[in-house]
Amino acid sequence: MDILETIMYTGSSNWMLNIVFIFIKIAIVIGVTMLHVAYATYFERKVIGHMQVRLGPMRVGYHGILQPIADGMKLFFKEDIIPADSDKPVFKTAPLIALFATMSSLAVIPFFEGFVIADINIGLLYIFAMSSLAAYGVVMAGWASNSKYSFLGGLRSSAQLISYEVAMGLSLVGVMILSGSLNLSEIVKGQQEYWHGMYLIPQFVAYFVFVVAMFAETNRTPFDLPEAESELVAGYFVEYSGMRFALFFAAEYIGMIIMASIAVICFWGGWTIPPVLLKWVPALAAVPGIVWFLGKVYFHIFLYYWVRATVPRYRYDKLMSLGWKVLIPLALANIVVTSIVKYAM
Amino acid sequence: MTIKDIAKKVFLIEILKGMTLTLKMMFTHAVTRQYPEKKRPPFPGFRGLHALVRNPDGKARCVGCGLCAAVCPSQCIYVYTSEGADHTKIVDRYEIEVLRCVYCAFCVEACPFGAVVLTDHFEYSDYSRDALYMDKEKLLSNWDKFMAGKKGEEYFDKFWRPRTEDFTTPENQPIFRGRRPEV
Repeated sequence: MDILETIMYTGSSNWMLNIVFIFIKIAIVIGVTMLHVAYATYFERKVIGHMQVRLGPMRVGYHGILQPIADGMKLFFKEDIIPADSDKPVFKTAPLIALFATMSSLAVIPFFEGFVIADINIGLLYIFAMSSLAAYGVVMAGWASNSKYSFLGGLRSSAQLISYEVAMGLSLVGVMILSGSLNLSEIVKGQQEYWHGMYLIPQFVAYFVFVVAMFAETNRTPFDLPEAESELVAGYFVEYSGMRFALFFAAEYIGMIIMASIAVICFWGGWTIPPVLLKWVPALAAVPGIVWFLGKVYFHIFLYYWVRATVPRYRYDKLMSLGWKVLIPLALANIVVTSIVKYAM
Repeated sequence: MTIKDIAKKVFLIEILKGMTLTLKMMFTHAVTRQYPEKKRPPFPGFRGLHALVRNPDGKARCVGCGLCAAVCPSQCIYVYTSEGADHTKIVDRYEIEVLRCVYCAFCVEACPFGAVVLTDHFEYSDYSRDALYMDKEKLLSNWDKFMAGKKGEEYFDKFWRPRTEDFTTPENQPIFRGRRPEV
């Protein structure tokens, strides 16, 4: 118990020990996240399959439970093909940038009380910076592949990320105003002041904007134009194969998990549950916070699949007009109203 | 634009409707059949792999008239006969190139004796063409495997008509039916 507490709070006076603990934390977070990525692909296929009255993967293991492992092995041992006319150094670095930029966002996410690798005061800004950096991986991949499909995919992706980044940033400003902090742990704690324990209720407009921007940010349906299968084959990673493709794939899924975590932390109260619920059923206090956190994250990931199984792809100009003409004005109006209410109270 | 339309747009009614539908569908049974484990029985009269009928005495019913080979639109039936003792016709070879067959069952209809049939067996994929070039022995064993006994008889009654008795003259037609028996 002593060791566990030290690991969690990194409060040891010995700095060497602190670094070791941080590495242990990183190993835990990356290991668990990669497992989640693998099984996110499995559940995506399962959920969408059942929504389309199919079964999804059924062959590898019981109900296809080992399918992601088989997929991973296949991707790992596949031939690594680099197009002859590609810009090779850029081609090779692009997936690494995409993966590392998304992965480093994991550092500031508080998974439960006190468990966060880097409890920095600009957590939210850091995540914005990292998700913008991930766009570089996409754009570089599109450029370096020297293929018209990848290039179009990269261009679309850059335009989309830039326009939706604005809406997403503005939507979270309301949360920042209410909590008065950019530190994600502080934001979670700030929500405990309400009886419902969520910014979702006062900030429902921001939540709506955030969710729409979240879909666009992670290139998911209905905004999956950068990788529109039916028109661009696969988008920016057409020319990638084997492990390099897997890196992009992992980056996309980690991005999904991070966006879902941000939604949970900023709007759904993170690892906490509504205080009113705790008052009615005091026994719930015994449940570890990670359960609530993961449950809420799983709901958002399910939302991704659910929307993907339901909604067709947007037209590109509609996507842009939605981002600039609807979401950004909505987010701005939300900021104004939130500021006035906060000032008046 | 009426207020109703605006409300529809603002609250994304159509998308929510679609999402309830997909959620409902998630809890219905999938229509997929897990094929090799769960097989769907072929409909009665399904036209599958060919067979030559074996009579109860163990010999092929085929007499080698060659009508099946003549009617076959893809010309994949080969019949070779020779003259045996007592001027009987002996079927030396009876071969069907299954890969070229279009399963029209004209051969079944043309056969006056009901000697060639299409069984309801459909799982006979193989790695070589030779395995699907059926000679007389293979065709006879197909009958033993898939249609022997009662099943074959039922199939004859239901699906493999017409046969010789269907082409006989109706009773009331005035034709020469042999000398009237003397009273």
